[in-house]
Amino acid sequence: MLKVENVKKAFGAATVLDGVNLTVSPGEVVSILGSSGSGKSTLIRCINGLEKLNGGRIAIDDFDVAKPKELAEARKRSATVFQLFNLYPHMTTLQNIALAPVEVLKRPRAEVEQEARALLASVGLSDKVDAYPAHLSGGQRQRVGICRALAMKPRYLLLDEVTSALDPEMTAEVLAILAKLAREGTTMLFVTHEVEFARQISNRIVFLDKGVLLVDLPTEEFFAASGGLAQPRIAQFLSKMKKD
Amino acid sequence: MRYSDFTTYDLLLLAQGLGVTIGLFLVTSLIGLVIGVLWGVVRFYRIPLLTPLITFIAELLKNSPVLVQLFLVFFGFPAFFHLNVTPVQAAVVTLSANTAAFIYVIAVSAIESVGREQIDAARAFGLSRWQILRHVIAPQAAAFSIGPLTALLVNQLQVTSLISVIGVMDLAKIGATLNLRTLKPFIVWAVVGLLYYLTAKLIAAVGARYETRLRRFSEFRGL
Ligand SMILES: Nc1ncnc2c1ncn2[C@@H]1O[C@H](COP(=O)(O)OP(=O)(O)OP(=O)(O)O)[C@@H](O)[C@H]1O
Ligand SMILES: [Mg+2]
Repeated sequence: MLKVENVKKAFGAATVLDGVNLTVSPGEVVSILGSSGSGKSTLIRCINGLEKLNGGRIAIDDFDVAKPKELAEARKRSATVFQLFNLYPHMTTLQNIALAPVEVLKRPRAEVEQEARALLASVGLSDKVDAYPAHLSGGQRQRVGICRALAMKPRYLLLDEVTSALDPEMTAEVLAILAKLAREGTTMLFVTHEVEFARQISNRIVFLDKGVLLVDLPTEEFFAASGGLAQPRIAQFLSKMKKD
Repeated sequence: MRYSDFTTYDLLLLAQGLGVTIGLFLVTSLIGLVIGVLWGVVRFYRIPLLTPLITFIAELLKNSPVLVQLFLVFFGFPAFFHLNVTPVQAAVVTLSANTAAFIYVIAVSAIESVGREQIDAARAFGLSRWQILRHVIAPQAAAFSIGPLTALLVNQLQVTSLISVIGVMDLAKIGATLNLRTLKPFIVWAVVGLLYYLTAKLIAAVGARYETRLRRFSEFRGL
């Protein structure tokens, strides 16, 4: 279980997360919606230990990310896909994917590389195994980013607006892969602006507003007039999203 | 034959001087490289006390003339610490330290030029600080720094000529000796200059070769 309990995060005087509670159980797909600046990326960065908490607790399978020894364990159980891919530019696609499994999980390189090739094949990138990120399209880079995360065999996949740097065609190609992962039962915490897509793949939807988690509802209820839509902030957000 | 004529023995002298210059250059560059990079690593780990100390020493070395540093080591150390310092020892210490200070600057900026987002990714995937340095930062920092490093080394080659003033028989000192004997400054200094030039070109060519190799991942499209 991934547990976020009463988490507070501030940058200087600005409170960015204000008492956030969230639980993700194995097998669930939970989407995080919210307007720009509401703290979605910050929440992901708190979960993967890139930001220090100012209050509360985050635990992945009971490993507390605030404790250095436990953070290492927590990080083996989760993997992040980033908005801007964050690939290592000096490494080929294969090297990008193999680095953490070999160095962090201490798995044999040959085995890891074989799996990496299979992962790349599954996202249609068999011919890009030895390409450098600079020579890939945005959509291809993000598919590599997803493979890099999956190669860790994470129990929790964290995704932060993984398609927002992509044009519609590339977005579709990445979303198709995520939909397949969701069908296969991959546990995902999914920050997105793709409301329709979130609706299709999520078990639950949470809505962040200015650092406060306004609602945490099963997908159908979130979109029901009596559920999430009853909240003026959410209705406003959804209608604005439809217009875009 | 007049005493002031050139002899074949002069060629031998020049070759010997060139050998001393290149030898000192190689030794001090290597020591400077090792120390400068080590200092960069210390700074990367933000080791308390050591980091500000290194920054302070590098500041002193960068902002004072090499000639003054050389005199301090050659004349100052024996007087103050009662040490015996030979000209070659003084040259090695001074040039190595000076090179280290500039390599430190190059190393720090090369480390800092590696994108924050890659380091975030590596951390999120659980790599340790050392693993990040070794696998993510070092290869890219090496590629970034090879250009400035080559420029520095070409400059440091010229700087070695300063050690002739304390009596090391390097290329410049041989030039001065030949000049005094033959009284043909134009020819002597033109030849000596040409030898420095050719050596510098050699260093630049080696640097350029490494640069192509280290940067093969990046798609530099030019300006
Ligand atoms: N390192 C930082 N230093 C200072 N302020 C920060 C930092 N990171 C984020 N913030 C601030 O925290 C707030 C939340 O940022 P965050 O990136 O989490 O928003 P977001 O919901 O992901 O937005 P978007 O949809 O645009 O990605 C913003 O006001 C942002 O300016
Ligand atoms: Mg964001």
